[in-house]
Amino acid sequence: MAQAEIPYQEALPLHHPHSWITKYWFSQDHKVIAVQYGITAVTVGLVALILSQIMRIQIGFPESWLASFITPDIYYQAVTMHGMIMIVYLLTAFLLGSFGNYLIPLMLGARDMVFPFVNMISYHVYLLSVVILMASYFVPGGPTGAGWTLYPPQAILSGTPGADWGITTMLLSLAVFIVAFTMGGLNYITTILQARTRGMTLMRMPLSVWGIFMATVLGLLAFPALFVSAVMMLLDQFVGTSFFMPAIASAFEADADRYGGGSPLLFQHLFWFFGHPEVYIVALPAFGVVSDLISVHARKNIFGYRMMVWAIVAIGVLSFIVWAHHMYVAGMHPYFGFFFAITTLIIAVPTAIKVYNWAITLWRANIRFTVPMLFAIAFVITFVVGGLTGLFLGNVIVDVPLSDTYFVVAHFHMVMGVAPILVIFGGIYHWYPKITGRLLNDTIGKVHFWITFLGTYAIYFPMHYLGFVGVPRRYYDNLGESTFYPESAAILNQGISVTAFIVGLAQLLFVYNLVASYWRGREAGDNPWGATSLEWRTPQTPPVHGNWGDKLPTVHRWAYDYSVPGEERDFIPQDVPRKA
Amino acid sequence: MAQAAAADYATIVQDWSSDVTTFKGVPWGKAMMWIFLLSDTFIFSCFLISYMTVRATTAEPWPNPSEVFSLEFLGAPVPLLLIAIMTFDLITSSGTMALAVNYGYRRDKKKAVRFILATAFFGAVFVSMQAFEWYKLIVEEGVRPWENPMGAAQFGACFFMITGFHGLHVSAGVVYLVIVAYLIKRGRYDNTNYEIVEIAGLYWHFVDLVWVFIFAFFYLW
Amino acid sequence: MSSEVGQQHPLSLYFWIWGLLFAVSFCSYLIDFYQVGYEVGTMGLRWTLILVFMFIKAGYIMAIFMHLKWERWALIYALLLPPLVLLVLVYLMATEADYTWLTRVVYFGAEPYPEPDPPPTHAGQH
Repeated sequence: MAQAEIPYQEALPLHHPHSWITKYWFSQDHKVIAVQYGITAVTVGLVALILSQIMRIQIGFPESWLASFITPDIYYQAVTMHGMIMIVYLLTAFLLGSFGNYLIPLMLGARDMVFPFVNMISYHVYLLSVVILMASYFVPGGPTGAGWTLYPPQAILSGTPGADWGITTMLLSLAVFIVAFTMGGLNYITTILQARTRGMTLMRMPLSVWGIFMATVLGLLAFPALFVSAVMMLLDQFVGTSFFMPAIASAFEADADRYGGGSPLLFQHLFWFFGHPEVYIVALPAFGVVSDLISVHARKNIFGYRMMVWAIVAIGVLSFIVWAHHMYVAGMHPYFGFFFAITTLIIAVPTAIKVYNWAITLWRANIRFTVPMLFAIAFVITFVVGGLTGLFLGNVIVDVPLSDTYFVVAHFHMVMGVAPILVIFGGIYHWYPKITGRLLNDTIGKVHFWITFLGTYAIYFPMHYLGFVGVPRRYYDNLGESTFYPESAAILNQGISVTAFIVGLAQLLFVYNLVASYWRGREAGDNPWGATSLEWRTPQTPPVHGNWGDKLPTVHRWAYDYSVPGEERDFIPQDVPRKA
Repeated sequence: MAQAAAADYATIVQDWSSDVTTFKGVPWGKAMMWIFLLSDTFIFSCFLISYMTVRATTAEPWPNPSEVFSLEFLGAPVPLLLIAIMTFDLITSSGTMALAVNYGYRRDKKKAVRFILATAFFGAVFVSMQAFEWYKLIVEEGVRPWENPMGAAQFGACFFMITGFHGLHVSAGVVYLVIVAYLIKRGRYDNTNYEIVEIAGLYWHFVDLVWVFIFAFFYLW
Repeated sequence: MSSEVGQQHPLSLYFWIWGLLFAVSFCSYLIDFYQVGYEVGTMGLRWTLILVFMFIKAGYIMAIFMHLKWERWALIYALLLPPLVLLVLVYLMATEADYTWLTRVVYFGAEPYPEPDPPPTHAGQH
């Protein structure tokens, strides 16, 4: 064991680009691919943002002139596409495709991913899946309006918008996305496990890499369930099988004998066997990145590094046995509620450990309120609020009256919508100087932060109240005809909508900042934040293809040596040797 | 032996806490193939679990695969005859693949290529037999994905889905093996250890492995 | 254990395993040929035999043909532990399927015990 291993990456042949096309379009450089993933994900995310504004117009001002253009079909399609785009095509793709691609090789001291060509294909297949998804707005009948969970039988029965073409493009797009993710994910895992630099043990990896690693493992093991359910639903639709279609489903169809004997519950189980790990595919990279942001900008080592790592692993394992807490009211086996409530509450333990560790890291730290730090702290606050309502919903007896109300909407938007988005913003503000060599504008960043943070609170916090008074989610015409709800619900909805418009517009500030700072931003230098991890130690900024020049760095310490007593500077990079 | 096993066991912690690589001596391609196979395991498991659920929930009689898949032989129907032949064929192909891997590591290029092609041949035979099986089921027995004269409609649905997906894997494997054999012959891997044969072999054995489970759960159960 | 130059084992080993797999496959085929389990109350025996032969075959393919026996434990465990979560899915889906079946019988008037298969007419007639 004493003999030092030579990283294979030392002699990795790189395919250097020869033309504009191979440099910026079919590039095999993980950094370019990361930016490609990022730009595509943000673009498609902006589409989802517009869709959410459409929903808010309808909910907040159903009598208005604008809402007169919004038919139930358009509304349900907006609900579905907004959910699916945000969860899969923005959050998953950005956190793993973009952060994963950019950070893994740089933080581990590798030259590139182990199979750069596969990595390149991965992005283009992802792009294809996005194109197929967007194409659903141009097929007859428009995209599917079945809700992002795509529950059969209604997803493929006439009466649901997009029941023939829309659902097909959606399922195809998901299958293609899974192929893209598999190619990317295999690369991430193999790189993390087999291509670290000298001295980089797993327990010296920055937590960002840990989060991305575990999320990728979850993805590779959970996406198959979605793939299988997509295949089976496509068969139900085109071949006429009845995996998910009970006999009653075809009672209203022209072809009354078409379906019979299937079980919709099977789809729900398969879907959530994917769906719950998916929540953590989004959350774990966010956990990791936020740990790094907090540590860097608080100038203090992360509290309980090992505990953090094991918490990530424990959450990953547990996430596979909690799925049916999404199905308490679905009519499943009555004993399941007990089992899944228990496991759900158990998974709160490692999650709470992480939150406590972030709080203790901040305790008496030398906090710098930079924009990334603001976003990181906002994440912790938002995540705690969203997580606490998760404890409500994890209990069967509380969930039953609350499910399918706005309480649920508030919960999951807080915990896996807003929170990871805040981390993405924080991460972009943090690593933009590495990617471009320039800092993002600080003032615009702070304006963007406060509007986004306070705005999302103003949007989602009142939704808890809406849920308590029983406003159901996914209803096109919530309040128009009904006198059942108190007056306050309509007023709140208007307030939420107005805030949502403001927050939506504020995101344009961010896009402007991204574009403008590329040319006019302040020069960042090599290490503007004084961070220790390897990505700030490349010979050039921004790093060139191959990252490290002639020799790979050697790692001598963990990534969190901040404010070490007796040291000259308040940070020690990972590749600085220990004193004898 | 026991001592060696204990020492091996201790290497888990050593390997996972070391730098550079976690799986010592495992080339990137092989690590990637293993992880892919793990992911693929979940795909097939989800298919089989769906089949289990469908079969257990159906209130209609489930056809007896032993009779459905029987073949006339010497005037008497023999149960599962074709399936048994297919099983033996796939095991044979696994054997030739194992030999190909062995010859690859012995740097016996010619024999390795020959055995890879033999494997591909047995794979192609398997797919042909499967085509025959589908033909017999669809044309002679009247089984369709949406109906089935012998009982539960889901029998046909599950059958076509699971064996179809496995058949796709075999077909893809045949193409993959032929490409690998061609590239080896052309000398693309002359400077390597011929791990590519082992990587292709892993995939092929996995296909065989899946068939073992399908054979047990679909045909025998 | 794992040699730097890949896996080198005597050819005879592969032939032995090959033969063994043939034998085990033949055994599992015999389960059906002799229609074990068709007598009332012996279905458990049939299922046990199927599973035993299945795991023997799967084990040998993975251990010898896929060379898992000679890999380091780090890899073996990384590959064998994750599928355990599938067992949870199997167990819960089996329970769920029973419940769904029950609801179909109780609420939708499905025939609880459908017509048994006609008695086998072929093979095993000794």
